Amino acid sequence: MLTYAIRRLLQLPIVLFVVSVVIVGLLQFLPPTARAAAYVKSEQQLAHIDEIIKQYNLDAPFYVQYWTWLKNALQGNLGFSRVDKKPVLESIATRLPVSAELVLYAFLPTLLFSVWLGTLAAIYRDRFLDQLIRVLAVVFWSLPTFVLGIALVAVIYGYFKLFGIGRLPPDLIIQLAQQANAGEFRYYTGLLTIDGLLNGRLDVALAALKHLVLPTITLILVLGAQIVRVMRSSMLDELGKDYVRTARAKGLPEKVVYYKHARRNALIPVITLAGLMFAFMLNGVVITETIFNLPGLGQWAAAAAIQLDQPSILGFALFTAFIVALANIAVDMLYALVDPRIRYE
Amino acid sequence: MAEATLLKPKRESFWRSRAWRRFRRNPLAIVGTLIVLFFMLVAIFAPALTADRMGRNCLRDLGVKRTEAVKVLRNPLSPKFWQATLHPPASCYKIPRKGYSPIPKHPSRKYPLGLSGGGYDILYGLIWGARSAFYVGILVISVALLIGILIGGLTGYLGGWVDNTLMRFTDAVYAFPGLVLVMVAVTIFGRSLTTIMLAIAIVSWPTYARMLRGNILKVKAQDFVDAARALGAGPVRIFFKHVLPNAIGPLIILASLDIGSIVLSVAALSFLGLGPEIGFADWGQMVNFARNWIVGPPGEPLKYWYTWVWPGLAIALFVLGWNLLGDAVRDALDPRS
Repeated sequence: MLTYAIRRLLQLPIVLFVVSVVIVGLLQFLPPTARAAAYVKSEQQLAHIDEIIKQYNLDAPFYVQYWTWLKNALQGNLGFSRVDKKPVLESIATRLPVSAELVLYAFLPTLLFSVWLGTLAAIYRDRFLDQLIRVLAVVFWSLPTFVLGIALVAVIYGYFKLFGIGRLPPDLIIQLAQQANAGEFRYYTGLLTIDGLLNGRLDVALAALKHLVLPTITLILVLGAQIVRVMRSSMLDELGKDYVRTARAKGLPEKVVYYKHARRNALIPVITLAGLMFAFMLNGVVITETIFNLPGLGQWAAAAAIQLDQPSILGFALFTAFIVALANIAVDMLYALVDPRIRYE
Repeated sequence: MAEATLLKPKRESFWRSRAWRRFRRNPLAIVGTLIVLFFMLVAIFAPALTADRMGRNCLRDLGVKRTEAVKVLRNPLSPKFWQATLHPPASCYKIPRKGYSPIPKHPSRKYPLGLSGGGYDILYGLIWGARSAFYVGILVISVALLIGILIGGLTGYLGGWVDNTLMRFTDAVYAFPGLVLVMVAVTIFGRSLTTIMLAIAIVSWPTYARMLRGNILKVKAQDFVDAARALGAGPVRIFFKHVLPNAIGPLIILASLDIGSIVLSVAALSFLGLGPEIGFADWGQMVNFARNWIVGPPGEPLKYWYTWVWPGLAIALFVLGWNLLGDAVRDALDPRS
């Protein structure tokens, strides 16, 4: 198991290598001057664009260009983000906690909630509860993230004046910035709900939590609907198998049959989906962060794509590839934990 | 006569098949079919439906005067009706504007669903949006299917190292979040409807490739393929005459049901401002127009509700219709569930 984990982790650089070759390869469709824009930090540099092209070998053959790119990337130079007016790596570092906080609060509830509902639907197959859950699941599955998000903003935030948009109320943001400069507020994790508690600032933690409610609900509803559907059909598959009949014939209580026997096996396809969903959350985050005005990676990527800020987008794509590859490894590990039949050599 | 029918293996008629019966008895299937049919009719007859509110360029390209537009475009006997219905000029996909005020205008007699910020006629956008949704959906699915059939066919039929390499590649594309790839494509190739349609096709073929590969593996193992080989058919002939036709049917049905999710992806991109050019009748873009007006002025938070509710509802219903239909067809085809 451990050797397998290490071997899989060693594959990670290969994945990143392939993705980066594709990305730098795609950049060849642009003229060298456009590629040079990735390393331009200020307007003064525009006069010396030829030097930048020389410095980064942007008019050299592809393999030379890639090699230069790789050398720079390994030193942490992924170019300069025009949207943030910061180096790309720094952008990722400051924005990651915002997205991580959102995914953190959305992912587990989504899983727990939808596994529970999917199991219920399968147990009460074709009865009212099942019909209700199925209809709700297909409706929320069809609902575009941005339409649901906008509806929540308009009705819950606009009309009922509940929760909030953005990461914190504006006055609190200014106050925090001042206190952080004075050393009175320290960022340990970058997650405001946790840092608030660590600094003994319950008001910050609560305000941050309040502002996360609507975006997390959006993510939970849209993504949860898919898992409910997979969980239901997987559970139905398991309930039709022989071992379930045997368990019932032995006189085991229904609860034990459902939760100890069938559900454990039904979880396997859900784990695969959960891994994929992690990737889809990165998709969903682009839209939710844009709607709810959260300064995370998704909002950055959306803004960068509109402004044709390629270094930011490429940084985002590379980072996404990294996360997706990690999630896949985690899924494979989880398989072994859930299903003892699966053993890795 | 009687002997002939005995000798000929009787093909089960579609209307008596088990699948059709299962489909017909599923109330959700009926709802889905009705929704999709509704949107189809709206899309087909968009020119006639909007004859009274067409933009100047669209009328000019059609060669119809505004005064007679309603009479001509709503009369199935006139050739202009058919020209507009079958092949409307590109300018008709542009939403006509009434003034350029950034503030939305409330529904009125002339504009029953109101004007969105920038003076865009919401009703016109909704109706032509249905047409562009089908256009985009069908085109993207066709391209994705073509790639999927090519790669799935090669891997499934040839097997061996071709299979291994291509399937690893397929898995990689499949696992990568599509939206991110499309965003990369937009930044490099520029923002246009063609870019995003191609980009979405390029991220959605892996499902079809996998499905076709599975079907081909099943068909390849059947006796009639061996029989064909015994009769001396070459590998190319076997593939195109025997294997592919038997493996491709369900794939095409299931792929066509993905129109809903394709339209959803395009709408999401348009919403972000990465879709077709501004003014193109596209539901996602119409929601984007509404972005500044989601929360109204203090005291009237829902003042401009019509700017986002109608296009949002259109997307949600369209996708719901296809998803309901898709679920029902899958249930009907798969007797297991």
